[in-house]
Amino acid sequence: MLSRVADSLYWMSRYIERTEHTARLIAVKLDSMVEQTPEDAAASWARVTEALTGEKTAPSHLDAFDITARLAFDRDNETSLINSLALARDNARQVREALSNEVWENLNRLYLRLSPMTMDSIWVHTPGRLFREVLEEMHALEGVTYSTLSHGEGWYFLELGRHIERVQQLGRLLDLHFSAAQNSESGPKYFDWLVLLKFCSAWEPYTKRYTASIRPQKIAEFLLFDPEFPHSICFSVDRMTEALARVAPGAPPARRAAVERLAGRMKAAVDFGQVDELMSGGVAAFIADITKQSEQIHKALYSSYITYGAETVL
Amino acid sequence: MQHEAFANTEDFGGPDIVAGSGRVSRPGVDAPYTDYQLGKPYDEMFTPDGKARAPYAALDSRLSILPLEELNRRQQACEQSFLHQGITFTVYNDNRATERIIPTDLLPRIVTAKEWDRIERGLTQRILALNLFLRDIYGDGRVLKDGVVPRSLIYGSKHYRREMRGLPVPHGAYVNICGSDLVRNEAGDFVVLEDNLRVPSGVSYMLANRDVVRRAFPAVFRSMGVRPIEHYPLELLATLRSLVPFHEDVSIAILTPGVFNSAYFEHAFLARQMGVELVEGRDLLVNDNVVYTRTTSGLKRIDVIYRRIDDDFIDPLIFREDSSLGVPGLFNAYRAGNVMIANALGTGVADDKAVYAYVPRLIRYYLAEEPILDNVETFLCREEKSLSHVLANLDKLVVKAVGESGGYGMLVGPHASQAERDEFAQKIKSDPENYIAQPTIQLSTAPTFIGSGVEARHVDLRPFILHGAETKIVPGALTRVALKRGSLVVNSSQGGGSKDTWVLSQ
Repeated sequence: MLSRVADSLYWMSRYIERTEHTARLIAVKLDSMVEQTPEDAAASWARVTEALTGEKTAPSHLDAFDITARLAFDRDNETSLINSLALARDNARQVREALSNEVWENLNRLYLRLSPMTMDSIWVHTPGRLFREVLEEMHALEGVTYSTLSHGEGWYFLELGRHIERVQQLGRLLDLHFSAAQNSESGPKYFDWLVLLKFCSAWEPYTKRYTASIRPQKIAEFLLFDPEFPHSICFSVDRMTEALARVAPGAPPARRAAVERLAGRMKAAVDFGQVDELMSGGVAAFIADITKQSEQIHKALYSSYITYGAETVL
Repeated sequence: MQHEAFANTEDFGGPDIVAGSGRVSRPGVDAPYTDYQLGKPYDEMFTPDGKARAPYAALDSRLSILPLEELNRRQQACEQSFLHQGITFTVYNDNRATERIIPTDLLPRIVTAKEWDRIERGLTQRILALNLFLRDIYGDGRVLKDGVVPRSLIYGSKHYRREMRGLPVPHGAYVNICGSDLVRNEAGDFVVLEDNLRVPSGVSYMLANRDVVRRAFPAVFRSMGVRPIEHYPLELLATLRSLVPFHEDVSIAILTPGVFNSAYFEHAFLARQMGVELVEGRDLLVNDNVVYTRTTSGLKRIDVIYRRIDDDFIDPLIFREDSSLGVPGLFNAYRAGNVMIANALGTGVADDKAVYAYVPRLIRYYLAEEPILDNVETFLCREEKSLSHVLANLDKLVVKAVGESGGYGMLVGPHASQAERDEFAQKIKSDPENYIAQPTIQLSTAPTFIGSGVEARHVDLRPFILHGAETKIVPGALTRVALKRGSLVVNSSQGGGSKDTWVLSQ
């Protein structure tokens, strides 16, 4: 596979994951805010904003309309939903020949639908509905990708993009909640933990595993270490390790080893991690470590397979 | 960005059509032809007295029973399909990029088996002669020594590539992919308006149009015996493969300028349809005169490149050094015979407006045959007799500068003021070699759906010719249509659209 094609597939997938994540956070937040006191809702919006943009905002200045506008449709906010979707599509367009018609058309249709939308046009109805529909479209896209693309090298680059992005987004979200939990005054309340699970599509799977009793320690265990739940760190690390074994089959062993060693180390950290060791403040450190490792894998992936110097292989 | 999906055609500058007297109308069945004007130009569907020609009978009877709303619905389905497939070009306005489709007209243009037979034979003859001409001028130059074509015309052309002299090309085939523009004159005969021998585009529209129009008129399509065109990518692949002597593991790539090029859709489309790599200049590198692509597993050798980049940009070491689209060292790899490039470099010298005028003579010279398809009558101002004719008839002629395209350096005599004609006459006199003149041609008209009904619009015809070890012309074409009433400009950048073209098997 051309290195440039691998590069575009990888980023297309990262931006798709980011779009889906953004849509889910906004959809869940818009639905849940009506059950919260204004202060709690504002604190929760501030966490969502920080998770998606990296910016800290004073909760008192937050207004649901303005935040949604900024997170969803603001072309000047480079992490907005519409910008992520546009970047996913730009990357897809550059590798149009490596995608199926169905994948391209699903993505393109969604972009063409959202592109002209404004806040005023969605706010008069039930604003949450649009974002739930976007999520449905993203799930359809995921299904179409799964069932119409060959599961060859290109597909594994999509997997890598998806799961590296997911680890980073999930990490940021968990970090914000568990760091805030240290502070019992403004920290997450019962309802916030429930919303956290919903941010990760994890509410039902969690209750099936642990019943409806919501405890931060169990949430951390589930979202970090559950090997079967698709939005856990462990699940994503497993998919990354598997994908790394499948890409660039003909690359020289030395270059493969550089990437696979990093993946092995990350998998060991997750496989042997114990949640009781992490409570009392250790969750944030663990997540910081995993996030750093995923960035190292990203870099190694590029230097081994995509941006390697031609002189090294001639 | 200027749209150039159908690049390499000049604007066809002619006067607006004078509305004719005739109008299609039959007792009781006026719709949908309520404003269908029949005039001096040949009409594809109707005879001058307003009767549908035999090949259009089935379409005509379908149209007379389909309500307008239904036609509109089908037209919208067509447009949606193009938009979703991303068959678009980008227009930049107020810093905002808008994606537009090139409109496809719902109604097919029909070419009979007999007409197609003549077109096919004529274009085959033409591509043979043009390739022999290219081999000659990059070889012995016999045609120049014999005085058939003036030396200055060739050696003075900015498209003549000295670097190609004495360099053999496989099968002597310089032009492997050609898209010639034909028009139908008032007598109903097809004539060649232009040979596009560099990087002609539009074939993806031929295929995409078929897809949507067949869906819009399935019953009519089935009843008419329309010849299939879906094998074009296969024939293109065979043509490209025939450029190398071995048959196993031929590694082929399409070289595109990238996603910002307005024909990018076509590049990606052809790569997918043929199952070959789509590469940009930055994906390729040359080492020891061998071309490689950079893959995740390492470097992979490339044997044949179907380039969709102009000569000037293909190799910054040899041609334009500011080109970032090309590949340094590519030309040397080509010269060493380690990679084949289609089309060969330097083919542009043969689709020059002045050389065009010589093509009938070239056919006689190389093939000792009479041309099957005529040229549009062309006066070369470099020839004394023609010059005086042109100067005396400026009000009736279209004059074009030889080296220009896209409507620049052109005088449309019947539309110009006396002062403009006088000024242009001076230009011609001071540099006659640089000008040619042609009578204004009335392109034929074809039925076109315009929302409120079906009206007559001007069309041309671009078939695609493949030429490697053998010559293949898929029985189909891109029909371009000037959507503005009376307009003769079919270019997509200026309100042109396209139509599916049905070549009948009998």
